[in-house]
Amino acid sequence: MLDQASAITSGPVRQVHDFKSGNEAAALAARDIGFHVMGYFPITPSTEVAENLSKMQANGEHDIVMIPADGEHGAAGICYGAALGGGRVLNATSSQGLLYALEQLPVQSGTRVPMVLNVSTRTVSGPLDIRCDHSDIYFVLNAGWIILMARDPQAVYDMNFCAIRIGEHADVRLPVIVAYDGFLTSHQKRRIERFDDADAVKAFLGEREDPYTALDPGKPVTFGPYMNDPDLINNKVQQHEAMEAARRVIPEIFAEFAELSGRDYRTVDAYRMDDAEVALMLLNTAAENAKEVADRLRDEGKKVGVVSPNMLRPFPTSEIRSLLKNVRAVVVGDRGDSYGAEGGNLSLEVRAALQQDPDNQTLVMSRVYGLGGKDFYDADAEELFREALTAAETGKVEVPFEYHGAYAGDGDAGPPQGLPPISKEEVSRGMATVTPNPETSKLEVELKPLWEMTTTPSRIAPGHGACPGCGFFPMLRQAYNVLEGHIVVLFQTGCAMVTTTGYPKTAHRITYIHNLFQNGAATVSGLVEMYHERVRRGEIPAAPEGEDITFIMVTGDGGMDIGMGAALGTANRNHKMIILEYDNQGYMNTGSQLSYATPFGHRTSTSEVGSSMSGKRFHHKDTPQIFAACNLPYVFTASEGYPEDFMRKMSKAQWYAQREGLVYGKVLSFCPLNWRTPDDAAQEVLQAAIDSCFFPLYEVEKGSTHITYDPDAIGRRRPVADWLGMMGKTRHILAPGHADQLEMTEQEVEKRWRRIKIKSEHPEL
Amino acid sequence: MTRDSSDRSGADFFEIRFESIGGLGAHVAGKIVAGAAVLRMNMNGSHFSSYGSEKKGSVVRSFIRLAPADRSIRTSAPIEEPDVIVVFHSGLLAHPATLSGLKADGTLIYAGHENEIPEWLKRVPKSAKVVRVDAQTIAFEEKSRENAVLIGALAAAVPELDRQAVCEELEATFAGKNGHIVESNGRAFKRGADEAEIIENVGRVEGDVPTMQSHPAWGYKSAPIGGVLPTPGNTAYNDLQTSRTGWMPVLARDKCIDCGMCDMVCPDLCLVWSTHVDADGKPGVTLDGIDYQYCKGCMRCVETCSTGAITREAELPGMADELRVPLFPGLAATAGDRHA
Repeated sequence: MLDQASAITSGPVRQVHDFKSGNEAAALAARDIGFHVMGYFPITPSTEVAENLSKMQANGEHDIVMIPADGEHGAAGICYGAALGGGRVLNATSSQGLLYALEQLPVQSGTRVPMVLNVSTRTVSGPLDIRCDHSDIYFVLNAGWIILMARDPQAVYDMNFCAIRIGEHADVRLPVIVAYDGFLTSHQKRRIERFDDADAVKAFLGEREDPYTALDPGKPVTFGPYMNDPDLINNKVQQHEAMEAARRVIPEIFAEFAELSGRDYRTVDAYRMDDAEVALMLLNTAAENAKEVADRLRDEGKKVGVVSPNMLRPFPTSEIRSLLKNVRAVVVGDRGDSYGAEGGNLSLEVRAALQQDPDNQTLVMSRVYGLGGKDFYDADAEELFREALTAAETGKVEVPFEYHGAYAGDGDAGPPQGLPPISKEEVSRGMATVTPNPETSKLEVELKPLWEMTTTPSRIAPGHGACPGCGFFPMLRQAYNVLEGHIVVLFQTGCAMVTTTGYPKTAHRITYIHNLFQNGAATVSGLVEMYHERVRRGEIPAAPEGEDITFIMVTGDGGMDIGMGAALGTANRNHKMIILEYDNQGYMNTGSQLSYATPFGHRTSTSEVGSSMSGKRFHHKDTPQIFAACNLPYVFTASEGYPEDFMRKMSKAQWYAQREGLVYGKVLSFCPLNWRTPDDAAQEVLQAAIDSCFFPLYEVEKGSTHITYDPDAIGRRRPVADWLGMMGKTRHILAPGHADQLEMTEQEVEKRWRRIKIKSEHPEL
Repeated sequence: MTRDSSDRSGADFFEIRFESIGGLGAHVAGKIVAGAAVLRMNMNGSHFSSYGSEKKGSVVRSFIRLAPADRSIRTSAPIEEPDVIVVFHSGLLAHPATLSGLKADGTLIYAGHENEIPEWLKRVPKSAKVVRVDAQTIAFEEKSRENAVLIGALAAAVPELDRQAVCEELEATFAGKNGHIVESNGRAFKRGADEAEIIENVGRVEGDVPTMQSHPAWGYKSAPIGGVLPTPGNTAYNDLQTSRTGWMPVLARDKCIDCGMCDMVCPDLCLVWSTHVDADGKPGVTLDGIDYQYCKGCMRCVETCSTGAITREAELPGMADELRVPLFPGLAATAGDRHA
């Protein structure tokens, strides 16, 4: 990277030009700061911070301990724990990830433990939208964290350095968020300057000094006591005072940073405001767009300017009051609504700030714009300026609050109506006959030949947006071939959800629900119980035995990390439903980050391969065994490459889910893009995974284990290396110098396979 | 929102838009071109792509905004009125949005086979420069990707770019990989630059191409509340043809035994079956063919076919229309609609 950048010096410190996105800038700052620990969980659009750091780590560029969490709540916990230890800690998240971590944020600020959290801002669900607005960061306004805003990649880089100094300041001692616009900044490359002088950076940052740490046994302290009234309010006064101290400290640190870098930040960015009569107030990228328009309007002789806070907490109240003192009208744009408050948070706080000034006469208009990443063009900024100009001229505000840029619709126009519903009869064709064997008390299944299944109407329509070769759809098609009657599905967030329901289209021909992947299993369990209760009350007609609606929760392997708690709760309650996991060995929807199901040594975008790192550092999670330990009626593994085996298991799953309770199935599902194979290599790769016993096909039926395909027994056992050699993500394991890694993989595979085998040989295991 | 087409806000920028589909490398190509300008040509610049949750094979746009070194780049909005449009897949020319906003004196570069002049080129300004390069063939022959060929053609066609600088940035981007990738990309780049040809007299538009205004299908007065979609299976209206990158599976009926294996593995759910009753009264099924409206060309059906009845064939213009067996006869597709 250094060789691509040309050396320049604009501040007292040596710097280089580079061409980087906001996420890259955050990662470079992290490297240059030299954090001790990063706890993280992938979520678009902030994921690249961890990805870039993983790449750099593989090349030996830093030694930050990177901890992939089970979810953002876990990540926040990791960061809190690490920060209690006294070192420097980093996290990056967005949207629902920030909200999932939210519960932890006041814990950290209330106990006064600094760290840095980069937030690449994104719309919160639902419906799920991955693009930029500020609805996520607005949720955190009351969390007690300092919130710095970074309007471009340069600011992202710079604010990370400032965040360390501000948060760790003895008078402050608070965690700090650096918030920048998702995609617009996180993914947009700009020219930046970055430091090329480690000593100067070190001198600026200084050492972190903690009054208390959890890693000094000679000085025992209790963190987080049980504190009720009358004490808590006093703790909060201290917190309030820390935030007030930050008002003073932030400009001081900005000034020091300007000396170091030559880049001078103010708490509020004011553009052409000296004599402005009309202003537009916006956060981050939209404000930058508005500056272009302000220049043009100035050329027309209009006295306009742009105001844009560089921090939201503490809120720069007095700066805003003084900037707007002589402004006749301001439009405050909010990229997020505070529903029912007649304004987004920024405009509400601006109004509150002005109310403190008895002489202020500024007319304030509130506009909600750019939600869900709706682009903000020059024309939008111009329209908002014109509204403010009109108000300034007429002296009155016609519309105090409204949405800008929404579309009402065009009469009866809409997307195509869709396909006719599929009747129960059309899909109840007896493709699998399930019969209990009274002697074994197990189920037996007879399948119709595959050709007969081809004319079963598919509950999933073509036209979905998945990648070529995607293994999820063969799996779903096979499952639907044998499942009878009505089905309601819930898909947790993941590739299958995103590619089947891009608004205003849906590939689902049956009732479908999405919920975030923390909580799909719990959501379906609630729906199942509502169904049975409404049947009991006679509100929904009762079905004959075995013909109730079948409820299926579909998840990727990533959903069985973050959603594991909800899934285990659901399993322990044994609701009548199926959890069906398509395991493609990673968070493929967000660009192939490691999940706990990613096997040891495999390359992902957060477990890169290089001179200093060689893929994932720990073995894959044995999810079927975890569910087997819940004593469910039926647990199975399958592969979309073995349709008959999978369909037999799926028909048993339906039988058990109708009559006895929860079924869990894990299906190995091909992902050519991120396994780095040709699109048409599914059969051989899946086969090798099974024949090498990496992915044994078995079932645990009423507690007893049965191997449904035994490569040893039929002489098809192959070395794990055969399978690893087929995929770009694993080929490095076979290279010279990786013998240890291969051996550890072989040992783990053999250990788990033998355990399954022994279980299968004992009826009580 | 007003959008005055005479308002050329980006007049002092030089703006390039790539129109592509996921998997052809448009994003990386944009990064290389913008990186060359910023790091090797002493310009200011920004680069970004239209991200959604799009997967491999769906529409991707990549944007490059360049300016003199002392001109700050503040806007992050997409490029609406580009000086140059590079189209990575000729099928995309059928969508009006592909050429939206191209300036009258702009440049269009498109990937097309020898002699391929799609009728849609009439939407280009008369005064614009039109350049064709056979990116697919060159990429295939040089074991490279379309993106290297196209940025070669771009660097040669546009005087604002320094061909050597772009080539160096291309090399630097892949320097960490093994040497043959750098070499094959270098050859593809050079051939793109050398073999691109100017196509004369195809554009019919006077002045700039108007900026396309598009609205969503529903608005807040018409959409069902809560984002609910009471439209089961309406992705069936999508046309995914452009997801294929030059190859298609073709069924030879005489070799097919209608075993049903391909139906188990087809991710695109695009195989068309019918039922019949044999002369001896037994029911049977027939694989009638493939609905290419949905087929993304993964070839898993070819992989699984035990009789060689489905084979991988080079897709020539018009072939898919000719061989297509519709899964839902009478259903009119929404061309190119693939919002994932």
